[in-house]
Amino acid sequence: MSVAAERVATIPRPAANQWWRHRLVLVGAVIGALVIVYQAWSNGYQWPSALEWKSLSTGLDNFQTWLSDQQSSAHPNVVFSVLNGISTGLDDLVSWLATLFHDLTWAGTTALGVLVTLRFGGVRAGLWVMGAFLSFAAMGLWEDCVQTFALMFAAVILSLVVGMPLGVLAGRSDRFQRAITPVLDAMQIVPAFAYLMPIVILFSVGPGAAVITTMIYSVPPAVRITALGIRGVPANTVEAAAAMGATRLQMLAKVQLPLARKMLLLSVNQTILFALSMVVIAGLINTGQGLGSLVTNGLNTNPALALLAGAAIVIMAISIDRATEAMAERTDPARMHVTEAIRGRLRVATAATGAAIGLAVGIGYALDAGSAYTNVGGSPDWLQARLQSALDYVENPSTFVFSITSWIGNHLVEYGLQPLQNFFVETPAPVMLAGLTLIALLLSGLRPAVMTFAMLAVIGVVGEWGSAMDTASQVIVALVLTMIVAFPLGVWVAESARVATIVRPILDVLQTLPQLVYLIPFIYLMPVSIVPGIIAAVLYASPVVIRLVAAGIREVTPNTVEAAQAFGATRTQVLLKVKIPLARDAIMLGVNQGIIMVLAVVVIGGLVGSGGLGYEVAYGLQQGQFGPGVVASLAILALGIALDRVTRGNRRPRLEGNR
Amino acid sequence: MTTTTVSADAVEPAGEQRGDPLIRAHGVWKVFGPHAERIIGSPDADLPRGELREKTGCVAAVRDVSLEVWPGEVFVVMGLSGSGKSTLVRTLIRLIEPTAGAIEITGRDVIAATPAELRDLRRHAVSMIFQHFGLLAHRRVIDNVAFGLEVQGVPKSKRLERAAEMLRLVGLEDAANQFPDQLSGGMQQRVGVARAFAVDPKVMLYDEPFSALDPLIRRDMQDEVCRLQEETGKTMIFITHDLPEALRLGDRIAIMRDGRFVQVGTPEEVVGSPADEYVANFVRDIPRSHVLTLRWIMRDARPGEEDGPRLDVQTTVREAVPMIAANERPVCAVDGAKVVGVVDRDAVLQAIAGERD
Repeated sequence: MSVAAERVATIPRPAANQWWRHRLVLVGAVIGALVIVYQAWSNGYQWPSALEWKSLSTGLDNFQTWLSDQQSSAHPNVVFSVLNGISTGLDDLVSWLATLFHDLTWAGTTALGVLVTLRFGGVRAGLWVMGAFLSFAAMGLWEDCVQTFALMFAAVILSLVVGMPLGVLAGRSDRFQRAITPVLDAMQIVPAFAYLMPIVILFSVGPGAAVITTMIYSVPPAVRITALGIRGVPANTVEAAAAMGATRLQMLAKVQLPLARKMLLLSVNQTILFALSMVVIAGLINTGQGLGSLVTNGLNTNPALALLAGAAIVIMAISIDRATEAMAERTDPARMHVTEAIRGRLRVATAATGAAIGLAVGIGYALDAGSAYTNVGGSPDWLQARLQSALDYVENPSTFVFSITSWIGNHLVEYGLQPLQNFFVETPAPVMLAGLTLIALLLSGLRPAVMTFAMLAVIGVVGEWGSAMDTASQVIVALVLTMIVAFPLGVWVAESARVATIVRPILDVLQTLPQLVYLIPFIYLMPVSIVPGIIAAVLYASPVVIRLVAAGIREVTPNTVEAAQAFGATRTQVLLKVKIPLARDAIMLGVNQGIIMVLAVVVIGGLVGSGGLGYEVAYGLQQGQFGPGVVASLAILALGIALDRVTRGNRRPRLEGNR
Repeated sequence: MTTTTVSADAVEPAGEQRGDPLIRAHGVWKVFGPHAERIIGSPDADLPRGELREKTGCVAAVRDVSLEVWPGEVFVVMGLSGSGKSTLVRTLIRLIEPTAGAIEITGRDVIAATPAELRDLRRHAVSMIFQHFGLLAHRRVIDNVAFGLEVQGVPKSKRLERAAEMLRLVGLEDAANQFPDQLSGGMQQRVGVARAFAVDPKVMLYDEPFSALDPLIRRDMQDEVCRLQEETGKTMIFITHDLPEALRLGDRIAIMRDGRFVQVGTPEEVVGSPADEYVANFVRDIPRSHVLTLRWIMRDARPGEEDGPRLDVQTTVREAVPMIAANERPVCAVDGAKVVGVVDRDAVLQAIAGERD
């Protein structure tokens, strides 16, 4: 009895404020303190040189020389034999695929692509692919497209061969899923720029290294979506099959794989898109072949051609996306309701498709069509000339467009980038380190804070503190711009069906574009060195953040919203007091994803002279300065992990019982 | 403690079912959570749910349940959601591993079974029918029905023939080439039933098969189950949260609460003499005259009463009312040709009046 009485007496007093407000206030206080320190001791107490590992860079250089000696020696040891074997094997695979497409002749290749899409994906998807081939021919980039496609195809097949079995395992075993998730996270968090250098050192430049670079990025979606598909098979169907005595193999072959089929095809789709988005970056280490190197070489020498190659990549990405998505949708047996009669007709259609492809190849040989489409009438030259004149116009200081773009660029630098960069770089390093760790502690908890501290310390020790802080300041500016653009848009998309239908296709297209493609137009539109990277980063990250915010707000249970409305809350009140607070986790996730994506593009901005860590990697790659490049790569990796941990938030996994 | 554990084997099966039970479970426990096995046998095992969870982080879904089901019997387990009934039925074929207890089906030790033995049991001896059907969306109806046979490795022509036969049994022969999502919920569950029957099991487990269906369709399906039960004489364990359904189908009913059986008995016993207040609350709205038979309300015949009008002892009170009302003399309840008791108007009135309180 007395216990009960006590319980009644000690009703906890309602908290005066919500915890997250508290937290944000505290974070604000930390930032305020940092600013004060910055004002007082600007430029004092930089990272102590006693704590720098100065010989690291030259050590790495020596290591690299030793490595290449080993690799090129007449009798390499086992490790190097394996590495060489891998890279030559991959080289051979890519060139074999390219030869295959060449042997089909351009007529046969076109027929293969269009007719297969037509058969399995329908007319609309077939037309997309047809249009893509036509545009490749019109741009005069046929040969480069075939090269790129061969490279991507090899990377995709290998990614699926590696990723799908892992995904099936992860879908069936919780323990395996838990083990592999951090690895996949790491593969996706690390900016591609950070692992280019090590890969070049291990596999030297060429298609093989490009395939591996691409795979690091495209294996995770294959694993993740496959696992998701296996887990998405209705539990009661799996249980029913288990109750009928299905073996594990029967369960997989007869129940889980067929029912996950649509998701499996979606994972193929995503793997292709991820692979394609690495094509340009892979072009940095696969010089002289394909669209990627046209872009990377052309950035400085032949901008019109670079822009054209970028457009070809975009067209390739969109058409492949449409084609594979349509195929996934239309061949779903649960939707198709394949009866015997339909099956018979489909067989005939497949046979006809095969015959038509064969016929096209035959005609190609009969008419001596050649391996690549060679342009008739010089339209590519004309196109390039047009593009160049457009670029000249944009870059001409006397035009109207230039006055707008340079105004935006200059203001962004003057009021955003420059002060922030000074703040990050000139605040005494130990204070900055402590401040960032404290913010991680407040936002994400103890463990992420420890990780943040360790990573920032690594950056300091390898001697990249200044560059890293420069890059961090660019990331913050880009993130803030991203949130300014994406948060209201996300809310709007969630609230208005009409806006959603307008915005969705645009986001689809933006999301299929490779990271570097964003950069190209802005190099000319915003001729201030840092700005193109920032704008490209905002464009690259916004679609994902918009999606996450919109999904978070839309997923607030209708019951809760209805209840609020029943109390007479206005639409604004519902939004501010119910939906946005309940979507907090999704919004935090948006910030987290946004910052990772922004970082990936900002460092690529180093290619066009944005400074910071990205520039050091780009310089290292172009000049063959391996030591400094690898050190900067390491710093990018560390910065990426630190930024991820700071913004991870305290999303806790839900209790196991409340799935 | 208000709940008392009642073992099913304490109650003799109704009617002619004798011999060895087909399903025997003894002391079955299922505790979810960390170190579940430590709970059993410790004082914690008797804690109410909330306290157990708070103290140990564990949830005891099934607590010390024992049951025996005889061949041809319909054994209904009834309880509210969260009472552990679905968990219980799954532990019987180890879709959920029981934490403790002994289970025997058709003489085979389920707990000790190797994976291969367990598969064999699931393939041939026991079939289950699920609340949410669990059909394969990518296969035609007939392939769904044949799935159990496919898993066994039966050749295609043979299994499709058998599946077609089963579809006729449930009246779906026209839907054979359709896909599950083209059928109504009731029809989908018929596919589920046909699938379960296709492997000709000895035991059928129904896990709330009709809860997801509309009331009218539910009634049709109950009739269907009654019919199939009469035609095939399968042994069934039927899970439901619907008391009328339990009373309609069950030879015996187990009332489950917080993972325990609180009462096991015939429909008459459950309605006529509820074991505790919980069961009494449950059955309060059930018209007793619809459930209770003459056997329940009769008294011994006094000399001279044995030549009155006769009614079968299994007749429900409601059906007996017209004859009893029309006769001055008490009505004789007969089992075959033998008079086993008499029923007078007082007894009928008391039985009906019992509904009021």
